[in-house]
Amino acid sequence: MSTEAVVSAIKESGSTRSSLRIAGRSTWLDAGRPVRADKTLSLRHDSGVVSYVPGDLTLTVRAGTPLSEIERVTREHDQWLPLDPYGSPDGTIGATIATASAGPLASSFGLPRDLLLGLEFVNGRGDVVRGGGKVVKNVAGFDLSRLLTGSWGTLGVITEVTLRLYALPKADRTFAVALKGSKKEVASLVRAIVMSPLTPFALQLLNPPVVRALDIGEHPVCLIRLGGNEAAVDVQLRALSSLADSKEVDTAVWDGLRNLENGAECVIRISGLPASFREVSAAMLSDEYPWISEYIDPVRGVLRLVLRAPDDAAASEDSVLGIDPAGRPDEHVVFEKLPGESWDGIPSAVSDSLSQGVKKAYDPHNILNPGILGD
Amino acid sequence: MTQPTPAPTQASTSPAQFPVAERLAEIVGERHVLSRPSELLVYNSDGLPGYRRQPRLAVFPGTREETVAVVRLLAAEGLSFVPRGAGTGLSGGALADDIVVIGLHRLKKIISLDVANRRATVEPGVVNLRLNKHVAPHGLLYAPDPSSEAACTIGGNVAENAGGPHCLKYGVTLNHVLAITVLLPSGEVVELGSKVGERDGYDLRGAFIGSEGCFGLALDITVKLTPKPQTVRTLLADFTSIDQAAHVTSAIIASGIVPAALEFMDGPTIRVVEDSIYAASYPRDAEAILLIELDGLEAGVSADLEAVRRICLDGGARNVKVARDDAERMKLWQGRKKAFGAMGRLAPHLIVQDAVIPRTRLPEILATIRAISEKYGVVVCNVFHAGDGNLHPNIAYSADDPAESERVHKAMTEIMQACIDAGGSITGEHGVGLDKMGYMEAIFSESSLNAMCELRAVFDPERRSNPGKVVPVHACKEWHAVPGGRLRTGTSSLTDAPEPRPVEAEPSHPSAR
Ligand SMILES: Cc1cc2nc3c(=O)[nH]c(=O)nc-3n(C[C@H](O)[C@H](O)[C@H](O)COP(=O)(O)OP(=O)(O)OC[C@H]3O[C@@H](n4cnc5c(N)ncnc54)[C@H](O)[C@@H]3O)c2cc1C
Repeated sequence: MSTEAVVSAIKESGSTRSSLRIAGRSTWLDAGRPVRADKTLSLRHDSGVVSYVPGDLTLTVRAGTPLSEIERVTREHDQWLPLDPYGSPDGTIGATIATASAGPLASSFGLPRDLLLGLEFVNGRGDVVRGGGKVVKNVAGFDLSRLLTGSWGTLGVITEVTLRLYALPKADRTFAVALKGSKKEVASLVRAIVMSPLTPFALQLLNPPVVRALDIGEHPVCLIRLGGNEAAVDVQLRALSSLADSKEVDTAVWDGLRNLENGAECVIRISGLPASFREVSAAMLSDEYPWISEYIDPVRGVLRLVLRAPDDAAASEDSVLGIDPAGRPDEHVVFEKLPGESWDGIPSAVSDSLSQGVKKAYDPHNILNPGILGD
Repeated sequence: MTQPTPAPTQASTSPAQFPVAERLAEIVGERHVLSRPSELLVYNSDGLPGYRRQPRLAVFPGTREETVAVVRLLAAEGLSFVPRGAGTGLSGGALADDIVVIGLHRLKKIISLDVANRRATVEPGVVNLRLNKHVAPHGLLYAPDPSSEAACTIGGNVAENAGGPHCLKYGVTLNHVLAITVLLPSGEVVELGSKVGERDGYDLRGAFIGSEGCFGLALDITVKLTPKPQTVRTLLADFTSIDQAAHVTSAIIASGIVPAALEFMDGPTIRVVEDSIYAASYPRDAEAILLIELDGLEAGVSADLEAVRRICLDGGARNVKVARDDAERMKLWQGRKKAFGAMGRLAPHLIVQDAVIPRTRLPEILATIRAISEKYGVVVCNVFHAGDGNLHPNIAYSADDPAESERVHKAMTEIMQACIDAGGSITGEHGVGLDKMGYMEAIFSESSLNAMCELRAVFDPERRSNPGKVVPVHACKEWHAVPGGRLRTGTSSLTDAPEPRPVEAEPSHPSAR
């Protein structure tokens, strides 16, 4: 597999007006709306490092490179790509960028758009296009890299990406604070932690089903990842101790959290003003619905709901969670994964005329992942 | 594309003689429309001396509604325009060649500040530093801090995706803008991104940032605010060789410590600054200094400070001085931030470059720049964001001396080529504008440039918003036949990069702003 192979696959589809399902390693093909495509174009074999100069803290890889491979390669030089999307680390970087998937580290290291320096893609006409560059700062030309990030393969097939890396922290420790007491007490503790001078790598509030699945207790938990030099972690740990009791847990707990979503039938992400999540989080962390896993990033302002049993999911959507697909004016509801029929009536996020204009320009024959964004 | 209603260009025109001017005056008030060539002189350049373009007309709306009405009127008339903030841009981006300037500096309301959610919504004409002063009492800051922060506007920052010294740790404008209300050239208003959360769909907000005024005009901008760090420490390391300072820069980056800022100034720049009113007590006999800032939690910063000091001394620093208090810190920064202004004293004209290179290539590229400057007998002043590899090789010269102009031009072209060959970019923060258009084909293929044209065409199908900038028109496949186009296009190859044009009037130096 190479860029040329992607070009010829797309050109052939264009000439026969047949559509393509774009796939990485197919670990998350059930995300997004159902796609009806004639063929699958998989990038799984287009994998590997194109260039890596550790001193530059930048890495260029082919799109089919699994995240786990990036982790392995960079770790050899005491570096990492602080991007930990939920789901499997076997997923590819191309798909991660295409779906703009992020995980707990996003609240401190940013979203995929913030870690991406440049990319190469093949548009729906088979043209090879590059956006951005390979250096850490760049404003040459219009920003095609951001445009492609989160476009779910509908504007082009990403073939190569350049990313910003960081040095692995000297210390990287994770602590669990049990959230006990009344809703009010929990809310004020969460607020105190978020507004404190702590600068955690990641901070997540987990409801009891998640806590049990990760085997770190019974009560809802505030999971805090502190990283940096030893002194910075120690001082933060002292600050944390002054706010609440905490116990150290294995940092591998974060992998457990990421993997929790594998095989889930239904994943919903709600984002809004961070402060509103601090206020309501106490109520959301209740133990009333054991089939719903919930975790909240109160710094970033994101709540994820993961439902395993399809019947419960369908039943609970409106009545239990009160989620209106259109969202409330102060929040956005993004359905990452739903049982097929549940998509009906959920509005597309790309139906506006600018988005439609971009789609027409980049994929005029509508052959790339048709339907995945509901347009 | 139509050009403004014919009007005498030489004789002074009053709004009454110029139908569009009259109608614009009805919207914004007569005082806020300029059409006399003499009044328009102020708007014929930006922060980059060397380019002049005379606008046909300038209009300064005072409210959002007026701005919308102005753009709708221009849309109805098919007239082209250039949005303009403070005019501090360094790529000729805000120049209007015989078309309308829409000046946005009167739109300077801070619409809302949400401390709990660390965000603010501002009008485009709000000056960067003013926003920072406004949020500082709440323990917050707006991270992107271009050296021009005292004058440049948030609208201009968004349009250029501006950076600044502290972007090494905190990221550039792109990483701090949550939402933008955009007034499209058609007059339609759209909301890109989200003021409240993270939207799905195409990242059109991301696409708009850095669009240099070509996608329409930012009407309001919602930015992310950052908590002020607990501790800030600033070091000044001085070196007797450029090479040592370059190696130390690479060593600090490679160590994994992310300083808040890591700035480089070479000997010629140090001496220019020390001779100016911005003198910062830099050692005059040094060949290079590094200005390094570390911030964060006190304990962590102290540990990093020691590590950085060691790297500097091991790398040959003569001296490492740590600022004792805020006053001393500010003074050290003042010299850096006003360096361009100080260079204005050297000669009447100044070429400011903005190339980016991979950080490990710094020692080698600085040696190459020195060799090129010797070859052409020009003085290059290097003052730049070293931690990001974002170079600013600047040459002060006199454009009135054709021989000198030619040498300077050739030297700069070779410097840029060396940066491109090293795998770098032609601009890290100043934008392409008019100035760097000639280099676009050296780093982007035809199909990449065409994809950029297509994206622009979605926002501005008639190409009326800041026409003739960023992407050379001939690179856009469908745009070859521009009806009646008086667009000034870029030049087609690196060797004919647009030459800074000699100017008629006294150049305005950034320091004057
Ligand atoms: C001394 C000096 C130091 C500088 N240091 C830095 C630095 O450290 N980092 C850096 O990044 N830049 C720096 N600059 C460059 C410049 O200040 C920035 O590019 C700044 O963002 C421009 O803002 P402005 O308001 O002056 O924009 P202008 O110069 O008025 O316009 C710049 C571009 O933005 C467009 N524009 C302006 N407002 C809007 C709007 N509301 N909507 C759409 N388009 C708009 C214009 O059409 C034009 O293309 C420096 C400039 C000077 C003179």
